Amino acid sequence: MKRRAFLKATGAGGTAALLAGCTGTTDSETTTTESGGGTETTTTQGTTVGGEDQVLAVGTYASFVDAPSSSPGVWLKDQFESEFDATLEWQTPEAGVNHYIERALRGVESGADLYVGLDAQMLVRIDDKLDEPLFTPAEGLSRIGDVNEELSFDPEGRAVPYDTGYISLVYDETQGEDGAFTAPETFDGLLEPEYAGALLAQNPTSSATGQAFLLHTIDAKGEDGYLDYWAQLKENDVRVLGNWADSYTAYSNGEAPMVVSYSTDQVYASQSGEDLAKHQIRFLNDQGYANPEGMATFADATQPDLATEFMDFVLRPEVQAEIAVRNVQFPATTTAELPEDFAQYAQEPPEAVTFSYDRLRDNLSEWTDAWAREFASK
Amino acid sequence: MDTLADATRTPVRWVARTLEERLLTLVAIGTALVLFVLFYYPVATVFADAVIDDGAFTLEPITAILTSEFYLVDIIWFTAKQAFYSTLASLALGLPAAWLFARFEFPGRETLRSLTILPFVMPSIMVAIGFVATFGRNGTLNRGLALVGLPPVELLFTLEAIIIAHAFYNAPLVARVVTAAWESVDARAVETARSLGANPRRAFRDVVLPQLLPSVGIGATLTFIFTFASFPIVLALGGFQLATIEVFVFAKVRDLAYAEAASLAVIETVISLTLTAAYLSYEARQRAAGRTANPLPRQSVVPTAWTPKSTLRTVGIAVYTAIVGLVFIVPIASMILASVTGADGGLTLEHYAFLAERQATGATYQVKPLPAIWNSLLFAVGTLLIAVPMGVTMAVLTTRRYRGRTLIDALAMAPFAVSGIVVGLGLLRGLVFGVDVFGTRIRVTGALAIVAAHAVGAYPFVTRNVAPLFSRLDDRLVESARSLGATRTRALVDVELPLVWTGVVAGAAFAVAISIGEFDSTIILAEGAGRYTMPVAVERLLGRRLGPATAMGCILLLVTSVSFFVVDRFGGRWGEL
Repeated sequence: MKRRAFLKATGAGGTAALLAGCTGTTDSETTTTESGGGTETTTTQGTTVGGEDQVLAVGTYASFVDAPSSSPGVWLKDQFESEFDATLEWQTPEAGVNHYIERALRGVESGADLYVGLDAQMLVRIDDKLDEPLFTPAEGLSRIGDVNEELSFDPEGRAVPYDTGYISLVYDETQGEDGAFTAPETFDGLLEPEYAGALLAQNPTSSATGQAFLLHTIDAKGEDGYLDYWAQLKENDVRVLGNWADSYTAYSNGEAPMVVSYSTDQVYASQSGEDLAKHQIRFLNDQGYANPEGMATFADATQPDLATEFMDFVLRPEVQAEIAVRNVQFPATTTAELPEDFAQYAQEPPEAVTFSYDRLRDNLSEWTDAWAREFASK
Repeated sequence: MDTLADATRTPVRWVARTLEERLLTLVAIGTALVLFVLFYYPVATVFADAVIDDGAFTLEPITAILTSEFYLVDIIWFTAKQAFYSTLASLALGLPAAWLFARFEFPGRETLRSLTILPFVMPSIMVAIGFVATFGRNGTLNRGLALVGLPPVELLFTLEAIIIAHAFYNAPLVARVVTAAWESVDARAVETARSLGANPRRAFRDVVLPQLLPSVGIGATLTFIFTFASFPIVLALGGFQLATIEVFVFAKVRDLAYAEAASLAVIETVISLTLTAAYLSYEARQRAAGRTANPLPRQSVVPTAWTPKSTLRTVGIAVYTAIVGLVFIVPIASMILASVTGADGGLTLEHYAFLAERQATGATYQVKPLPAIWNSLLFAVGTLLIAVPMGVTMAVLTTRRYRGRTLIDALAMAPFAVSGIVVGLGLLRGLVFGVDVFGTRIRVTGALAIVAAHAVGAYPFVTRNVAPLFSRLDDRLVESARSLGATRTRALVDVELPLVWTGVVAGAAFAVAISIGEFDSTIILAEGAGRYTMPVAVERLLGRRLGPATAMGCILLLVTSVSFFVVDRFGGRWGEL
């Protein structure tokens, strides 16, 4: 029984299908009868029957399809469907990729063909918790050679990068004593008394930007030095809030002159007529932490070939440019052609820093746990 | 023909009569079933991780936490301390409001009272936005202080900010339950005490206070439990250095470290349930006498004669009103203002235009405002229809005396005490993924499951609002109705319910509020299948600009306000029929 088919059948039926008994095994060719709602459907999936569209189910994070600023989801779906004889179906579970890990842990089929939005930290989590592979290595991609070498973060070749962000500081020039604030240039500078209470960061245990900033401090200060560094940051009243929205809200209200965010911050600011003086970018130590995002095919995908075609489609130069603009990130390929104004406002760091999968695999949990204990100690 | 009619009528009447006699039992069985499927079983799948490792029983994860100084002192003890302060603050803000609502008459009293439920349904991100705008460095409070030449206060990102936000959520709860109890104090008992020579203070202490204490107790207990499990607001207004247990539960769940997450949640639940049981055994010992149809008279806020005493009281009320304005009105007003403020700081309706456009052109997998409103209302009505009978039945059952009653009571209250994150994860595992029963996979999702989950969270509110009033009723009322041939159900509906109607309406309002505000279970059970509610829409609309989310938040406030107005008015009138 395919979960999607089931959802399709019941999604329109109001309170139909409170109880669905799925008989037999969990391969892709089973039928279902539902009781409790009075509807009876039998759905067969997996092959193209009589000109019926194939369905490609793609899991992703919500803001990829549904951000209030801009998101690539709608455009991607329209483009893909106009060209391929298939229907693209977005799935946006609240827990993101964890939803699929949890399914695998409970012995339930993934119910999707691809996941879009993986990073190295998530791969580590997957490989740490699951014995069976959740994703298969990507094979037969004609454009895999276009991907920027430095961004490939999966040694097993499952996750193919499609964009990358650089985590940096965003600061507000109009703040400070005389309305001429400048962010420090180095990590050590953040410890100066003049920057007391001046930085808003995010919780590394639940936020992507927070995690990237923590990793950047580990890179800068070393495994043995980062906890001391954070103890000093805490002394200097750094504020680690829950998530990016919390901290950006506070930053927008002038609560502090600096916030950990993305180096593409000015792209949206310039589009919406915000004062760019309030959206200055600072790369500490002249570095930005690169957090590439990847896509991968589920091991139990019912449409592996279509998934491969989708990945190749995403790597096309014009699609890469469009995803970058709409997701406000940088393309992952070397062939994408970005529009002028995007290049003008999206800043790249002089040097990109990132931890390899192997380093993260051995240390990520310990690093984060140790940080949490250090920082939450009253 | 006549004999035939008689013959068919009698069995029908017999069936109806039997059904009526057994109705309470049936509802009780139904309640137990719903609780088991939507609460106990799912939660058990998560708690099992704390004590089962590779199929063997172990206490290692729980022991590890209970022997860790970091968890014990920095997290658990701090969480309890924070919850204790939050409870004090909620009582300090909530009790004067109850006094004003119950004992004074002023324009808009009824409307204000209806609106005290609003904080209950506000998503934490909305509260955070409102609080930053109110108590922040450049917030309303500091601008006001600057006007009168006072130095600014740095409130944000401190324990104080968390405590005030918790009071924002919970003081209205205290005010509502205590007001309901105060209004059911029998005026004649006070008059009797006065005529026997007691001064007003003495009469209050000996007659009124004993009848208020149980409601103060439940208000304080619930506030403690809720703030003990507080999570997003702590991180948004305090920061990670003020992390609570729930922050770590969430972090561990996200990291899929289930043994640790479950152990923390088990400890959290045990503490909450112990407290609940302690309160319940105290409540059970309270047997206040009296009937509830004769409330104390209300007086005008503006005194009739200006004596030193009445002047002092008026000044006190004015100061309290100013504090309420700062803590409740200004944050909500700030949020409304944010929804009509553009990126350049000017006034604009663009965020509402965005929602309208999204409604018109949005894709099926994007959130739209109208379905969110419709679903929220639909689930709220469904929750009302299920939670009120469930809650009233449980109240009838738990006001009887039997051994182990406190335990049953506490178990029935458990939905309050278990972390929302754990319930959500349990629902995902137990219901959304399905359970194999004899080779058939049973899955429970969709609208009915959402309503049932909301009812599980809401019915204890109904029970706690109604139970204290039930225990005051004279047993002879039911006995005489029964001896005249009424079934137990008939006696309940015709005799008891009208006497406890204020409690039923109060519970119903909470049920609707719980349903509209619920987030964790809804988002899990909705499965993105177009069954999202208003709070879910607010959360999904967050992004690089706050406008659309705040606009959706204002729609939530408006829809909720109207709903409560309807519940209070309609419910109150219905009770008078």
